[in-house]
Amino acid sequence: MSIAEVSNLRKEYPAFTLKDVSFSIEQGRITGFIGRNGAGKTTTIKTMLNLVHPDSGEIKYFGMLLEGHEAEIKRRIGYSTGTVSWYPRKKIRDIVSIIRNFYTTWDDDAYRKYLEMFNLDENKAPKELSEGMKVKFNLLTALSHGAEILILDEPTSGLDPFSRDELLDVFIELKRHGVAIFFSTHITSDLEKCADDIVYISNGKISAAMPKDGFMAEYSQDGESLEETILRMERSAKNA
Amino acid sequence: MRNIMLKEMKLSASPLSYFFILFGLMFFLPGYPVLCGAFFTTLGIYQGFLYAREANDIEFSVLLPVSKQDVVKGKYLFVCFIESCSLALMLAVILIRMTVLSDSAVYRANALMNANLFSAGCALVAFGLFNVIFLGGFFRTAYNMGKPFIIYIIAVFLVITLFEALHHIPGLEALNAFGFEHIGLQLVLLIAGFTAFAVMTLLSFKSACARFERIDL
Repeated sequence: MSIAEVSNLRKEYPAFTLKDVSFSIEQGRITGFIGRNGAGKTTTIKTMLNLVHPDSGEIKYFGMLLEGHEAEIKRRIGYSTGTVSWYPRKKIRDIVSIIRNFYTTWDDDAYRKYLEMFNLDENKAPKELSEGMKVKFNLLTALSHGAEILILDEPTSGLDPFSRDELLDVFIELKRHGVAIFFSTHITSDLEKCADDIVYISNGKISAAMPKDGFMAEYSQDGESLEETILRMERSAKNA
Repeated sequence: MRNIMLKEMKLSASPLSYFFILFGLMFFLPGYPVLCGAFFTTLGIYQGFLYAREANDIEFSVLLPVSKQDVVKGKYLFVCFIESCSLALMLAVILIRMTVLSDSAVYRANALMNANLFSAGCALVAFGLFNVIFLGGFFRTAYNMGKPFIIYIIAVFLVITLFEALHHIPGLEALNAFGFEHIGLQLVLLIAGFTAFAVMTLLSFKSACARFERIDL
């Protein structure tokens, strides 16, 4: 079942255009959103969170248009915007004590579980955290309110290989509980480990949006890994 | 709305925003333009906005499960809350000056504006100017605040100078009433100040909501 649908998004900037971006995110599946730096991943995600307004196109969650149902939809989604830190001098405990009020579905047990799993100290302030720990803090809040879909902008950037592996295992566990996960990355091994679907964006345009197996069958040449396939596609797009 | 207000008070606000409320007590000062107390209160709010920008407060707020209009409403409510606290202090001082200190020589000999209900109305106009110029200007970009604050400073000091000068104009001496003299006029001017504040704040809020909705963050 489709939990989010992005249709014909277009956003024009002086030096970059997001062109007719369309894809859907399915319940209980992990979708990897891959593309090189500047390909349009963050713009797409910001548009999906209503931080950026598209010139045209529409975004639906749970069958509802984001426009007009923003608060209701945001209560059911979780998000992480990489290593951006909110209120760098406030204690994590104080920030969370405010965030939790906004969610009727806030789950204290889940919060404690992920707090322990991510080795986060509630008495620390974001400015005392490493880049990787900042990502974990963002994820902690996203995972603690029973979100039905997680939209994560480069959640694995800045994480050490062990933490990254641990996080991808969390994704797989959440998927088993029916949560849809949409995460952008430029690390292809993340996709190889856990993605069911791939959305590949190149120069502001979706080049492929399909199940990973289908992607490999359609685009991969004999013996090529996912990384080699994407690198080859990117080189061809550049030379075209 | 309670949650967004709590967020404003506990996460977004700088301690200076609360501390500068105390400048409402400047209404006790003789021989000093008391309306500067209103300006200093808004200076504290401005410091809070700088602090909030440094903490990525707007992006954080927009990602919460609230509409963008509620984010704007939270900011306006918080600013009005600080202004109301400062006004409450000013009114308490005015009440003391109207009663137990009404015959105090040091206040009677004051060439500047007396702290009476008219001055509280003027403080409300100053707060209204802050809301319309600074707050409204801030929500054009949700980032730039230097330009709207400078424009506000120019406007508010022009208005303070005008209010300070009014009672020296022949026929307008009643504006500088002591104690309960001209109490009817004083009350009307206080209500007029409140009306100006309410109109400026509401108009500013409406245009800020429309502007903020269009901004890309």
